[in-house]
Amino acid sequence: MNASLAFLAPALPACAFFVIVLFGRWLPRGGAPVAIAATAGAFVVFVITLLGMLSDGASAHSIRWFEVQGQATFTWGTVIDPLSVVMLGLVAFVALLIQVYSWSYMREERRFGWYFAVHSLFAAAMMALVLADNLILMYLAWELVGLGSYLLIGYWWEKRSAAEAAKKAFVTTRIGDVGLLIGIILLFKATGTFSISGVISAVETSQVTQPTLNWSLILIFLGAMGKSAQVPLHVWLPDAMEGPTPVSALIHAATMVAAGVYLVARLFPIFDAGSGILPMIAVVGLLTALVGAAMALVQTDLKRVLAYSTVSHLGFMMLALGAGSVGAAMFHLLAHAFAKAALFLGAGAFTHSTHQTDIRRMTGLLRGMRLTSIAFIASALSLAGIPPLAGFFSKDEILLAILDGHLGVVFLVFALIAVVLSALYTGRLLFVLFSSRPFVPEGDKAARGREGGAKAHAEPTPGESHAVPHEAPLLLLLPILILAVLGAVAGLLAFGWTGSYSGFGAYITLGHDKGFHIEPWLTALAFLLVAVALLQTWRSYISQSDPLRSATAFLAPARRLLERKLYFDTVYQWIVDRVVVTAAQVVGLVDRAVVNDKGIEGQGILVRYAGAAMRYLQTGMVYNYALGLALGAFFVAVVWWILS
Amino acid sequence: MTIQLLAFYAAAAVAIVGAMGVVLVPNVVVAGILLLATLLAIAGVFLVVFAEFLALTQVLIYGGAVTIVTLFAIMLTRTGELRVHLDNRQKPLAALVALGAFVLLSAAFLASEIPTRAAATSVATVGSAGGSTGFEYLGEALFTRWAVPFEIASLVLLVALIGAVILTRNGTPRDRA
Amino acid sequence: MLELVHLQVLSAALFSIGLYGVLARRSAVLVLISIELMLNAVNVNLIGLGAFADRPAESRVFGQILAIFVITISAAELGLAFAIILKLFRSRGSVNTDELNLMKW
Repeated sequence: MNASLAFLAPALPACAFFVIVLFGRWLPRGGAPVAIAATAGAFVVFVITLLGMLSDGASAHSIRWFEVQGQATFTWGTVIDPLSVVMLGLVAFVALLIQVYSWSYMREERRFGWYFAVHSLFAAAMMALVLADNLILMYLAWELVGLGSYLLIGYWWEKRSAAEAAKKAFVTTRIGDVGLLIGIILLFKATGTFSISGVISAVETSQVTQPTLNWSLILIFLGAMGKSAQVPLHVWLPDAMEGPTPVSALIHAATMVAAGVYLVARLFPIFDAGSGILPMIAVVGLLTALVGAAMALVQTDLKRVLAYSTVSHLGFMMLALGAGSVGAAMFHLLAHAFAKAALFLGAGAFTHSTHQTDIRRMTGLLRGMRLTSIAFIASALSLAGIPPLAGFFSKDEILLAILDGHLGVVFLVFALIAVVLSALYTGRLLFVLFSSRPFVPEGDKAARGREGGAKAHAEPTPGESHAVPHEAPLLLLLPILILAVLGAVAGLLAFGWTGSYSGFGAYITLGHDKGFHIEPWLTALAFLLVAVALLQTWRSYISQSDPLRSATAFLAPARRLLERKLYFDTVYQWIVDRVVVTAAQVVGLVDRAVVNDKGIEGQGILVRYAGAAMRYLQTGMVYNYALGLALGAFFVAVVWWILS
Repeated sequence: MTIQLLAFYAAAAVAIVGAMGVVLVPNVVVAGILLLATLLAIAGVFLVVFAEFLALTQVLIYGGAVTIVTLFAIMLTRTGELRVHLDNRQKPLAALVALGAFVLLSAAFLASEIPTRAAATSVATVGSAGGSTGFEYLGEALFTRWAVPFEIASLVLLVALIGAVILTRNGTPRDRA
Repeated sequence: MLELVHLQVLSAALFSIGLYGVLARRSAVLVLISIELMLNAVNVNLIGLGAFADRPAESRVFGQILAIFVITISAAELGLAFAIILKLFRSRGSVNTDELNLMKW
C-alpha cells in the first residue's frame, strides 16, 4: 500500500470539475456521475492511504515546484499522518454521501451538472488543504474552498438573497484570509520556509522572535476565525443557508468550517509556542460557543437553528484547541461532522416532503418519516451530549481538556453553561419539530413574517403547504442513516482499545495528548446538567407553550437581543453603510474629480485644445512649410555654431 | 588687382545680378532667361579657378538642357500668362530669412580656418604626372576611384527618367487597362 | 589676389537669393528655378574648395567630382519635379503653390 498516492484524492475531484465544466453538456445527467465516481475514487484513495499509513507510519511526499535561487523552494506535497488522514477520510466520505444524496435531492435543478462540478471542486480543495505539507499550497486550497463555498451558496444566484449570502460568506471569510496570508508571509520571513514541518521545527528551536511569532499567529488565527465562523466573523454561516441543503451539510460538516479548526490543529505546535495565543483562542471559542448556542435558542427556521448550533460547536472545537487538546478538538470535529451532516440531510428530507422550513409548522414528521426522524433525533441528542452517542464523549473530552489544561475554572463554568444551552436548544428544536401540532404563537406573527418569510424561499416551495410527510426516497434516506449511525457510534473511537491505540486524541496527535481517561464527577455533572435541561424543555412542551419561553425565562431580557442576532449584522451593516460606503464615496469622488477628470481626461482635453489651437499652423501652403524648414535649419546652424 | 580677380568679379557680378533678377522679375520667361545668364556666369567662375571640365559641364547641362526644360515647363504650365502676383504673402519674411542666411553663411565662411593655398591651382598642375591636363586627371579619378558612385548616379538618372515618363503619361494605368 | 573667401561669399549670396526665391515665389516652376540656384551655389563652394584647399591633388579633385554628382542629381531632380508639376497642372489647372492647399486644417 502506497501512501504517496494520496495526492490523487484531491486530484480526482478536481479533474472531475474540469471534465464536467468543459464537457458536461455532452455527458449523461450533466456529468454528475463523473463527480460521484471521482469522489468515490477519492474515498478509495483514502482507504489506500490509511492502510499505507497503518503499515508504514506517518510520512510526507513532495515534489519540487519551483525554486527562487538561494531564497526559497516551493513544493507541492502531501503530509500523511493520523490528523490529515482522518480529515481526508471524513471529507471524502461525507462528500461522497452528500453527492449521492444530492443526486436525488437536486434532480430537478436546471444546473444539475454545474452543482456537481462545484461540489467536486469544493471537496477537492478541502482535501488538498488537509493534505498540504506547506503553507502556500494550504493557502491555495484555502482560497479554493472559499471559492467553492461562494459558488455553492450562490447556487441559486437568480435569487437575490442567495447572491447576497454568497457574497457575504466570501467577503467575511476573506477578511480572515487576508490575515492568514499576512501571517504566512510573516512566518516565511522569519523562518525562510513555507513547509509546515520546517516552520514548526524553526519555531521549536526558537528561530522566530516572540513578537513576530505572536503577530503571525494572531493573523493566522484570524483566517481560522473567518473560515470556522468564530465570533465576530460568524455572520456568514447562518446566511449560508441560502444554498441548497446538501451544500449546507457539506459546509457545516466536513469542508468549509472544519478548515479553520484543522488549520489550528495542524499548526498547533506553533500556536503552542506563542505566548498568550492559546488562551485567546480559548476565549474566542468559548464566546462563540455561548453566542451560537444562545442564538440557536430563538431561531425558528430549521436550518438556521442548525447553523447556529454549528457556530456553537465550532466554538467548542476552538475552545478545545485553546485548552491545548488537538485530540479533543478533532474528535469533536469528527463527531459533530457526522451528526451535523445527518441533521442537515435530514432537514433537507423534511423540507423536501413538507415544503416547510419553519420548525413550528412542520407536523407529523414522526409518524410519516419514522426512520429519518429517528436518525435526526439520534444525531441531535448526540450533539446535545447524551450517552452513549458520540457527542457525549467528545464533549466530555473537551471539558476534560479544559480541566486538565492550563485554563482556569471560569472557562469550565462557562463551557458547562454552553453545554446547558446546547441541550436547551436541542430540546426545543426536537419538541417543536416533532410535535404533532403546529406552534404558531399569536404574538409571533410579525416576527415570522420577517424572519421565516424570507426563508420560505430558501427551498422550493410549491403551493401544497399541508402535504402529509412521507418517507424520503432511498437515495435520500441512506446517507442520512449511514451518517446518523456513524455519528452515534463514533464515540467508540474515544476509548483506548488496544495497547497501541490509547484513545482517539492520543492517536491523532501521535501521542502528544494523553490517552483516554475520564473524570467521573465531571462526566456526571455534565450529563446531569444536560438531562435537567432536556427535562425542562420537555416540561414546557407538556405545558403547551413554546419550550423556549418558559424553559429559558431567565433569558427573557436577552430574547429580543438574540432575535436580532445580537446586532452583529446590524452593526456590520451600519459599518458597511456608513463607514465603508462613505469612504468609498470619498475615494470615488477623488477618483472621478481628480484622477479621472483632471488626470486622465484632462490630458485628453489638453491635447484636444492644443490641437484645435495649433491646427491653424497647418495652412496647407507649401511655402509656409518651406519657411519653417528654413527657420529650423537656421536655428540648428546657429545653435551648433554657438556650441562648437 | 590681377586679371584673375577682375574676371571673377565680373562673373560674380553677372551671377548675382542675374540671380536677383531670377527671383525678383515679374515676368517668368525673363526669369528663365536670366537663369541662363546666371548659370553661364557661374561657369565663368569655374573657369577662373581652373575647373575647365566643370565649366563645360555647367554650360552644357545647365545652360543647355536645364534652361530649355525650364522654358518648356513655363510654357506648358502657362505660368507665363500669369503676370501679377508672382510672389506670395510671406515675401517680407522670406527676404528677412534670406538675409539672415546670407549673414550667417558669410560669417561662417569668414570665420572658417581651412588651410588654403595662396592661389587657385588646377588639379593637373600639381598632379603626379606633369604632362596630363585637368581633364585627364579628373577623368582618371572619376573612372577609377569613383567608378562605383558614378555608376550608381547613372542608375539614379535612369530611374528618374523612367519616373518622369510614367508620371507625365496621360491618365492612370487603370484607365488604359 | 583671388581667395577662397571670395568664392564662398559668392556661394552664400547665391544660396540666399535662391532661398528667397523658394520662400517668396508662388509659381512652382519659379520655386524649382530657385532651387537650381541654391544647388549651383553649393557647386561654387565645392569647386572653390577644390581649387584652393591645401591638400594633395587626389583629395582636391574630390571637389569637382562631388560637383559633378550634384549636377547629375539636380538634373534628375529637375526632370522628376517638372514631371510632377506637369501632372499637377493637368489635374488642377494651376501650379500656384497657394492654390495647392489640400493639406490645410
